Amino acid sequence: MAKSKKPESNKKSVSRRDFLVSAGAAIAAGTLGVCASESTAAASSYEPSTGYIVHDSRLCLGCQSCMFACSMVHEGVANPSLSRIQIIRDAPSFTKYPYDIIMSVCRQCVTPLCVQNCPTGACHVDVANGNIRRIDEDKCIGCGRCIESCPHKPHRTIWNPVKNISIKCDLCVDAPYWGKKGGPDGHQACVDICPANALKLVHEPPPQTDVTGYDVDLAPPPRKKVMPSIFEENPTTKQEWGGKHYVRRIYRENTKS
Amino acid sequence: MSGGYTGKILRVDLTSKSISTIDTAKYEEFGGGYGMGTAIFWDLAVAPGEWDLKDPYDPRNVLPIMVGPLAATGVPGSGRTNICGLSPETFPSCEFWRSNLGGRFGTMMKLAGWDGVVVEGKADQPVWINIINDQVKIEDAKELWGLDTWQTQNRITSMVGGKTRFGEEWQQIGSTYTTGRPQILCIGPVGEAKSRLAALIHGSGVSARVGGHGAVFGAKNLKAISVTGTGSVQISDPEGILDARLHQMQSPSFLPAQPGAASCMPCLRGDRRRSNYYGGETMCADQGWFFSHPNPTVQDRAAEALIKYGLSSWSAHFHAFSIDIAGAPEFFRKKVPTDSGLGWYLQYLHEQGLLGPGKQIDSAPLPMDQWGELSFRLALLDAIARREGIGDALAEGCARAAQKWGRLETDRDSGALRLPAWGATSHWTMPWVEWAYAYILGAGDPAWHGFMAPVGAPRDGTPLEKSLEKLSKKTIPYTDDIFMFNYAWKGEEAWKTGIYSPHKAKQVAWSRHYSSFWNESMAFCEMFLPELGSDSPEIEIMYYRAVTGKKDSFADTMRIGQKIWTLERAIRVMHGRSRQTEDFFPYMYKPGASGFAIYGGVPIYENGKWRSDPAPGMYLDRKGVDDFKSHFYALEGWDNEHGWPTRKTLEKLGMGRLVKTLRDSGKLGTVL
Repeated sequence: MAKSKKPESNKKSVSRRDFLVSAGAAIAAGTLGVCASESTAAASSYEPSTGYIVHDSRLCLGCQSCMFACSMVHEGVANPSLSRIQIIRDAPSFTKYPYDIIMSVCRQCVTPLCVQNCPTGACHVDVANGNIRRIDEDKCIGCGRCIESCPHKPHRTIWNPVKNISIKCDLCVDAPYWGKKGGPDGHQACVDICPANALKLVHEPPPQTDVTGYDVDLAPPPRKKVMPSIFEENPTTKQEWGGKHYVRRIYRENTKS
Repeated sequence: MSGGYTGKILRVDLTSKSISTIDTAKYEEFGGGYGMGTAIFWDLAVAPGEWDLKDPYDPRNVLPIMVGPLAATGVPGSGRTNICGLSPETFPSCEFWRSNLGGRFGTMMKLAGWDGVVVEGKADQPVWINIINDQVKIEDAKELWGLDTWQTQNRITSMVGGKTRFGEEWQQIGSTYTTGRPQILCIGPVGEAKSRLAALIHGSGVSARVGGHGAVFGAKNLKAISVTGTGSVQISDPEGILDARLHQMQSPSFLPAQPGAASCMPCLRGDRRRSNYYGGETMCADQGWFFSHPNPTVQDRAAEALIKYGLSSWSAHFHAFSIDIAGAPEFFRKKVPTDSGLGWYLQYLHEQGLLGPGKQIDSAPLPMDQWGELSFRLALLDAIARREGIGDALAEGCARAAQKWGRLETDRDSGALRLPAWGATSHWTMPWVEWAYAYILGAGDPAWHGFMAPVGAPRDGTPLEKSLEKLSKKTIPYTDDIFMFNYAWKGEEAWKTGIYSPHKAKQVAWSRHYSSFWNESMAFCEMFLPELGSDSPEIEIMYYRAVTGKKDSFADTMRIGQKIWTLERAIRVMHGRSRQTEDFFPYMYKPGASGFAIYGGVPIYENGKWRSDPAPGMYLDRKGVDDFKSHFYALEGWDNEHGWPTRKTLEKLGMGRLVKTLRDSGKLGTVL
């Protein structure tokens, strides 16, 4: 069943990856036959995940703290290229706000094509951890099929060139360098570390639309001041010195002159 | 090698087109960033003794562009890149000076596997340096020369873009992949024209804007450096970094950002803007270039043009924060510009009838009748970039232009040329005298706000004295001396416990040592740390230990700061620095010199009592400043007559190797 949903790219001429795919399939059919058949049998009716990360691309600072946090908690090193969340700043192309930042977060799809297309069962639905879609690194053969089949651009399954396998967001359920409990009931490093609160864990599946379902409004109610102003009025000081009104008065005088 | 370092520094000689590496371990004792850059400058430019250190455009000028160990480790605010070298901007002599910038250039440099890049020599024709992980090429920049900074970056991005795989956002680099774009540091037409006002530009609005190092790029025929990195940075304790970050996010000074804010990579503070007119990441200094305009879009358009041309918003400051100071010269019309520069000075000369079409100083091609408007600013940028008409003099900076016009003596005496020292744009200085002293002891604007808020009037009703006691506990190793924070500037008290006393020397030394290590070398943004009102100095050490795995105490790091500061001093001494050359412009000794006080002013202890005072009337006393220098030199272990580091001081700081070079030049301090 899964094979009938194979993406078009598999029909291309034989590449190194295609060779690996075939090899992987052969291994799956042999040594890992049981897992593969389980995976394919469950393809049409996966239980939805109980955790989803939604985001607000207007709120994102583009600081990429989440990318560092992700690679650090999972791999123990700082490397944005190994992060399972990708924040792409369109600098220096100078695109206008809010289109200058693409937040690329795994959507824990209700119909997970990465799981469906995995020939070894490495990419699976983790029933013991709230049905999150995750990759078992020991079973992954590095065929890259989950990456090709990810319907989102850029793809949310990530190639790890150090280990030569695919990796993806597991909601920090298996993050050896994360001091907190992860998973749908726990804490995610990216969500906790985001200084703008532009990421949030929700438990209901967001609408499975192209973009809008996951890019939501997370903005806090507008504050009176955007930043703590150095010109705030100071009760111990006369208003003429250090008062906000003073600066405004200077503005007016300057513009008059 | 400790955590955080990549272990190698790239060395590019543009004359011979040779590319080599320097082992980072050799310079680890200097921390990173500016500390390492200073030591490399000493080793490559000063110690060989082949160069008189006078001309910043000399191919022998070495430009270390360095990153600290905390960059690209998830530590917020520490991804800054530091540039040092002989600076074209300072006046009357070109001093050793530094500048730094945020954004993502430094982070990318680390991910590419480099702790910095050292540029020396001069290319025979325009080039740019292309760094992709460990692959480094010197490329032809014929097609880039003449382009503005945005065009340059766009063009390089399209040239560097590699093969894509698995979707168009992922680029293949060797066997690795990244969604990151190349990060580029470049100059615009102003830098190509070797204007002393040229900044180094990165992204859409990040710049290294003091020192005029953009002109050094221009002189070296270096248009840009592009870096793409996909590697990992090893960290001693990843969990420790995240814990420290989460701890800092609990601090009362932390406020989550609002939509449209942006920040450097990776930071906690959303103090840049994505949602401005031109998109990207400008900050207050660039928008401050048109501070007085009520329309934010016009401010943004001015900032955009400024960045594209690659002009420093700092050197070409118009004015900000006009204030009323009793005793200030009449020409200020009761509005003294606290931050002033080129723009304000042009208007002054125009109003005096000295500058204009057909006047003593011909203003062509500037439309003086449109001074302050966007059109005037655009004409100014263009005139400087082309060195056309008055633009040729202005490209040399305010002080040198004044000298050319025969206005230098008069105007620096009256304060019309309101540049506190070394010809650098005025920026706060007083009443925060530690800032003013840093101007003369360094080579211009220190741009360090660390003490401004903490010495301000307490906002929670705490008595001032208690608040200062709390603060003095944090200023390790100079603890328990609250007179460090006394800004008494008149009468006997100024000499006894105030701004000319040995107490003040401690505060100035602390700010220079802290800044040398933590802000310039660990590359923490100075708007981010220190937070002397809350998390400092504990938070710095938490981050430092988690990344490097070292066990240094805060006092240990302050000693490294002193070492860097003393090394910097030794370079300046070799260049000709002495007690006599270290002086303010004369207006600083006259009424009207003070600035605009925020945070409720500064603490003043007089008649046995503390009070907060904005001290608008503050100005300096010549003898007092001279006495201060004696106290400061003694505290730092520099000799009293010249301010030269002594053998004992250098050896105590582990820099005995500097002794021979200084002694051979007859510039080793002898008697304290």
